[in-house]
Amino acid sequence: MTLIEFVNLLASALLLAGIYAVMSVGMTVIYGVMKIVNLAHAGFMMLGAYLALELFERFRIDPILAALLVFPVMFVVGRVLHWLLVRRLPTSDQPTLASLLLMFGLWLVLQNLGYFIWGNADRSIYTSHTLSLLRFGAVTISTVRLVVFGAAVACMVALHLILNHTWFGRSVRALIQNRYAGQIVGVDDQKTASITFGLGIGFAGLAGALLASLYSFNPDFGRPFLIRAFVIIVLGGLESVSGVAIGAFVLAFVETFGILFVPAGYQLALSYGLLVVVLIFLPGGVAALTAKVRRLA
Amino acid sequence: MLRTRRVGRGLSMAVCAVLTFSFFTACSRNKTGSSDSITVGVVLPITGREGKPGQYQREGIELAIKQINQNGGILVKDLDKKLPIKEVFYDDTSDQAKSAAFAERAMSSDNVVAVVGAYSTALGEAESVMPDRYQVPWITTGAAASTIFNHGYQYAFGTLSPTNLLGSTTAEYLGTLVDQRKLTKGLKLALALENTDHGVDYGNGIKEWIQQHPGYFVVVFSENFDLGSPDFSGLLQKVKSANADIFLADAHLQDYITMHRQYLQSGMRHLMISYGARGPESDARKALGDGVDYIFAGIWWSRNLPYPQVKKFNEDYKAFTGHEPDSWYPATAYDAMRALAKAIENAGTLNKTAIRDALRKVQLNDSLLPGQTLKFGANGQINTPFVIVQNKPGGKVDIVFPKDAATGDSIAPTPKH
Repeated sequence: MTLIEFVNLLASALLLAGIYAVMSVGMTVIYGVMKIVNLAHAGFMMLGAYLALELFERFRIDPILAALLVFPVMFVVGRVLHWLLVRRLPTSDQPTLASLLLMFGLWLVLQNLGYFIWGNADRSIYTSHTLSLLRFGAVTISTVRLVVFGAAVACMVALHLILNHTWFGRSVRALIQNRYAGQIVGVDDQKTASITFGLGIGFAGLAGALLASLYSFNPDFGRPFLIRAFVIIVLGGLESVSGVAIGAFVLAFVETFGILFVPAGYQLALSYGLLVVVLIFLPGGVAALTAKVRRLA
Repeated sequence: MLRTRRVGRGLSMAVCAVLTFSFFTACSRNKTGSSDSITVGVVLPITGREGKPGQYQREGIELAIKQINQNGGILVKDLDKKLPIKEVFYDDTSDQAKSAAFAERAMSSDNVVAVVGAYSTALGEAESVMPDRYQVPWITTGAAASTIFNHGYQYAFGTLSPTNLLGSTTAEYLGTLVDQRKLTKGLKLALALENTDHGVDYGNGIKEWIQQHPGYFVVVFSENFDLGSPDFSGLLQKVKSANADIFLADAHLQDYITMHRQYLQSGMRHLMISYGARGPESDARKALGDGVDYIFAGIWWSRNLPYPQVKKFNEDYKAFTGHEPDSWYPATAYDAMRALAKAIENAGTLNKTAIRDALRKVQLNDSLLPGQTLKFGANGQINTPFVIVQNKPGGKVDIVFPKDAATGDSIAPTPKH
């Protein structure tokens, strides 16, 4: 492999990591606070993609800008769903069967709602910059992918700031560490859970809107991403936003560089192989490993 | 008192049993007893990743049923009357397990005379074990892999020519471009094949042609990829590293769009590029605009074929659905339904084995497909030739091969965008 090929692959892996991070972060915050594995995540991504499409077709709003508008809409959708359904689930320190079934059912409902409203056709958003390239000598980078990467980084930074520098963020972290201790010191767990669920759904919608500028989509959109999101949040440590970023980078690098050594048909096997290895040797994910290193230091 | 209660319970159970029996008998009579129509099962994906092509195939089948019924239906000599076709439709949601289950349900519970459908090799393979089990004729309108037709199944038929023929026709077309000096001899090919029997057959077809015609091309890269992957950058980087002159992929519609988008975004360029049987679809042009120009595809049918029946079909299809036929999908389904109707009429009975025997002999002389004659081979699959189409600027799609059906010249090599 030449240096140029390596740099091209490195750029691809970095941009892919951005995509993976933005699609996984919503799942992580919901799991962290509520211990709910959001199986409907793909459904909310799909809704985000279609909202971006509607904004583009009706008002010619660029999908990247549309993603910013989709976020608050999906945040409200998330809070309404929490009030209607999720708050009725039994609270637990572990994911419950009831929550899994509710979220899976919700995904199916969202999918069918998508088919009902938008039909089964593959849709896509084609703008003037869909195929535009940035060339740095022999290295080429897709403009849209770069923008999506930038948006992903901005989202992660914003979430990091919210979690570390606001009262709400402290509440979230308290509930992630110990729900009951958090309640004892005055954290309103229902309100925090509601806002967190809204945030998680908001990020799912935002990810869907961003991905709509990269992929064609239909109401089944998000299924292959969902599997990868699971791998990423397990890699990252289930409850850690910075862990998600690291998990996304690891998966993107393994997938991109791994197929230099194995056939491309085994790309998914690489992801699952990584998941198995992490579950066996590093069940707490990267977050647990860094915490351990910090303790030892 | 106790005895009275026992008798009462026994009576209740008997009444329940009788009611249940009556209910199922009534249902059963409802399903099997009707002799005022011919029930045909249709199992296709109209949702999920294959939803769009599946929908087009459904439209082709339903147009054929509508036209047959408008002409009074199918004459069944045994019953001495014409019967309309009644469709029992199942959406398998692009899921293999559901596809097999619905085909089984149609054959075992709905008492259909035949099942038509099964778009895509994966879904077709899942259904293909059912026809011989239930001895019900089955015509796949969208699966072409040799693995379906090499098992010696007696009740399986297909209206798609074999995929290895698609591969060899693709190579033959490129060979003619070499003969015309549009391309040079000894060019290097890179193959990216979907990880299914369809991909294997396509690759084999290309390699066989190259073996039979030494000196034309050499394969420098050949690798499989997973269907539905969100990212092909690693694979494309390997293709780039192979320094091939021609890039040939075998992909489904979504993968074609995703892969080609990343191909264009990576700044790659080859002298010729194809995604197997995918290329002229309007969804691809909507997604990638001019980026799909000059892609060529080997397809089982084109709406530009210069046959009068194709012209009429195009008009009827547009009147029926409100849109033009998109790529080849509706035509193979339309002809499958017409071939089945003709076979039932030739059989003169609704006996499924007799219909199977009639299907083996049926010949549709006004077929829409290239060559205009549809006839099932000994293995149940048709063997009509492919046409090669090429996307041209402005959304035009020309047939460029074979020459006698061509509506335009090949543009080769691909000009720089």
